[in-house]
Amino acid sequence: MRDYLLENRSPFLDVAAADKGASIRLAPVTGGFVFHVLGDAKSDEAALKKALAKIAQELGADVRKSAPNQWFWVGDADVSSDQRAEIQSALSSQFALCDQTHGRVRMVLSGASSRTVLAKGTMVDLSADLFAIGQSAMTQIGHIGAMITRVEDDSFELIVLRSFAGSLWDELQHMATEFNKPASMS
Amino acid sequence: MSSLVKCPHCGLRPREEFTIRGEVAAPRPDAGADEAVWFDHVYLRDNPRGENREYWHHSGGCRRWLVLSRNTLTHETSDVVDASTLKAEGRA
Ligand SMILES: [Zn+2]
Repeated sequence: MRDYLLENRSPFLDVAAADKGASIRLAPVTGGFVFHVLGDAKSDEAALKKALAKIAQELGADVRKSAPNQWFWVGDADVSSDQRAEIQSALSSQFALCDQTHGRVRMVLSGASSRTVLAKGTMVDLSADLFAIGQSAMTQIGHIGAMITRVEDDSFELIVLRSFAGSLWDELQHMATEFNKPASMS
Repeated sequence: MSSLVKCPHCGLRPREEFTIRGEVAAPRPDAGADEAVWFDHVYLRDNPRGENREYWHHSGGCRRWLVLSRNTLTHETSDVVDASTLKAEGRA
């Protein structure tokens, strides 16, 4: 266990409140946790979800597959490093947890045309019938690596490395401009 | 985004998500093998015309090393597998 604390600060401290009337909305997810889960070669998702539900049911078992035997476990509650250590020691040795809350940033893009906006940056087919709610894909948006998860009908959560969060944010705003024209222009 | 590669883990992805490492060389020589054999293994490539097996890294996706068969004449790709399968084949 590490002997120092990592400070989890949002990179979006001065973001203006999202315009409720905008057709495409982009909002940071503040608080919560992102744990990278590394499983051994024989580990499987069902076993992981079952174990997490048993050990820390209150945190939910929202695990998003990033690679074979690797997942991001994401939740909205704040988890102390003591609690994380407890969870790790309760997990079987098949899984290792790595806290990435300070290093990976979550944001949500939503709105009727959110798919069209994302399609400008990624080639993963996000069609409603192919990319179900809850499904994730590790991909690139432009040249920035990001994980896309469909969280609701027309709503996608993105996880991006912290140092790229500002760039991705600006890029998405730019890509959404055509749908968010001021009223006087439409 | 023209060339598509079918990652066995992620599905169809654009070539831009991958980093190419080069030909899958024949099995590693023994540690004590002749210097010339090692030189050949490390530096000399055949540059074949036709089917070629290459290491590709899915750096923009699952970050797994893959082995991909590519036709150097047509650039057609086929048979993409996780590189760990080479180990199972005893070829790594
Ligand atoms: Zn992949």
